[in-house]
Amino acid sequence: MTQGNEPYIALSGIKKAYRIGGEMIPIFSGLDLTIPRGDFVAVMGPSGSGKSTLLNMLAGIDRPDGGTLRIGTSHLDQMGEAARAAWRAHNMGIVFQFYNLLPMLTAAENVELPLLLKPLTRKERRLRVERVLDLVGLSGREKQYPALMSGGQQQRVGIARAIVSDPGLLLCDEPTGDLDRKSADEVLEMLRFLNRQLEKTIIMVTHDPQAALYARRTLHLDKGDFIEEKRAA
Amino acid sequence: MPIFMSTHSRQALVMIRTNLSSLPRRRAISASMALSVALVVCVLAGFLSMAKGFETALAGAGSPSVAVVLGGGTNQEAGSDIPAAVIRTLDAMTGDLGVIRDAGGKLLASREIVVPVDMRQVTDGASRTLALRGMDLAGPSIRDGVALSAGRIFASGALEIVVGDRLADEFGLGLGDVVRIGAVDWTVAGHFSAHGSAFESELWADLDAVRSAFDRQGQVQSLKLRLTGPASLTLLQDTLATITQVPLAAVSEADLYAAQSGRTASLIRLFGWPLALLMAVGAAAGALNTMMSSVSDRTVEIAAVRALGFSRLSAFLGTWIEAIVLAAAGVAVGLIASWLIFNGWQASTIGANNVRMAFQLAVTPDVLLTSGLLGLAIGILGGALPAIAAIRLPLTAALRTRG
Repeated sequence: MTQGNEPYIALSGIKKAYRIGGEMIPIFSGLDLTIPRGDFVAVMGPSGSGKSTLLNMLAGIDRPDGGTLRIGTSHLDQMGEAARAAWRAHNMGIVFQFYNLLPMLTAAENVELPLLLKPLTRKERRLRVERVLDLVGLSGREKQYPALMSGGQQQRVGIARAIVSDPGLLLCDEPTGDLDRKSADEVLEMLRFLNRQLEKTIIMVTHDPQAALYARRTLHLDKGDFIEEKRAA
Repeated sequence: MPIFMSTHSRQALVMIRTNLSSLPRRRAISASMALSVALVVCVLAGFLSMAKGFETALAGAGSPSVAVVLGGGTNQEAGSDIPAAVIRTLDAMTGDLGVIRDAGGKLLASREIVVPVDMRQVTDGASRTLALRGMDLAGPSIRDGVALSAGRIFASGALEIVVGDRLADEFGLGLGDVVRIGAVDWTVAGHFSAHGSAFESELWADLDAVRSAFDRQGQVQSLKLRLTGPASLTLLQDTLATITQVPLAAVSEADLYAAQSGRTASLIRLFGWPLALLMAVGAAAGALNTMMSSVSDRTVEIAAVRALGFSRLSAFLGTWIEAIVLAAAGVAVGLIASWLIFNGWQASTIGANNVRMAFQLAVTPDVLLTSGLLGLAIGILGGALPAIAAIRLPLTAALRTRG
């Protein structure tokens, strides 16, 4: 839990560089960012601006070279890989651009995956899976395999998988990048619902200005820093 | 009973299940890995069953209660010669020699010679060199595990042979048949069974008849003696040491055949193991390739579940178990094929005395176990490296890839 008025997410002096062809290419050289609990932030910016790097660091998949990264009471910059993996399992959900569902598992089995990391009985897992599939409008499609679903339906399974363990934070990496406009809008409505009704904190990386309109505010990243911040209407 | 399975076990089970379920996507390369393991298993099982069958045939032929006396400083019947004077000296000894005596006090013994003879096989008409053993009438009864299966034993001095069951089948030697061996015709008087041992590869006849037919008058190559017990061999050896006309050696029949089988079985294994191991290296490389392809095929899936919080161990186990399961499938196919192809397969080799010795390949449980373990080792070793590759996948790159 965040204490008092402290922001839910706090990045301070974040540095990150990648070695490419023997040369260190800096991505961030002292990035600062705070996000309160319950916010819905769209992160936009051109390719190479560091959007994915930021998301990966927030997900604990990547680690900053310097600076501090705190989410809730967890200091991700000080945690080892196994601890970050365990933290991910209990505190956040990820929605991928290409859904990343396991094709040989049914929709329900895909959604159940994060619950396998928790000490729940089979019945408890089944009830939770049914509930979230109902929430994303896929009730009755539990036994369907991803290959037989549309892109929009697959992404809704991806969202159900991200929220099934009831995390406080959702990270979405171009969640509508592979969808047509109609499906994209459905998915974005879903995310807005999760933010407004279930008070999930959502950080969404996107190239789509229309998608960004669904967020409470939009951050523009350029050359490793935020150059603009505005609240959506 | 625990209510919750540990989350680690569940993660591993999910990874294993997803890997195995995705096998049809890599049907050809997975089948080729399983088949290469099956081939290795077949080759090794083939050689080991050959060695085992050869050992079984010779082990069944020797008894620890029968002494074989050889003369002339050799340890094989082929070069052995025992002068008649030595046999007379032994016969004349009245004390305890460790050898059973008959009701008349005579030693229970059989003087024997072995003559290589050529015979034509019924199946392909090819000529084979067989052992015609001339022996005293007591010869068959001295041996353990030998029984007449048809007809009767050869008569003293008659041109009659009794034939091992195995040879009778192979050469079409029925009771009463007349067969030309050397320059004379012999009548088949009986068949004998020796539980598949090397004896069944021999033709037995009266000693004097063989000596006269092959101009070996007076020759004795070995003397078989029925001991009062296995421990009596030492007493016999001590007695023979007192006879100084010619160097004599007494060994138990079991040791004689074991020494013969040991050399040939070692030779078979000497060829079998390196060949199987070389093939195993090739199969392990194939397994490595298959599993690398499997990891590459599932890059996005592995990265996705690890991003959800699944452990590196589960990713490792998923890939590793897949390799072991494929190897196990190959082992099963290889063992079943080995059993069907090799077990009971009739084979032959040049045995002692430069004559043909028939034996059956024996796919025994230890042959299956050894071959199976080698096959599994291919999966265990060949799958380990790709499994390590699976846990070192760069998640950041994989997650931006279309699954």
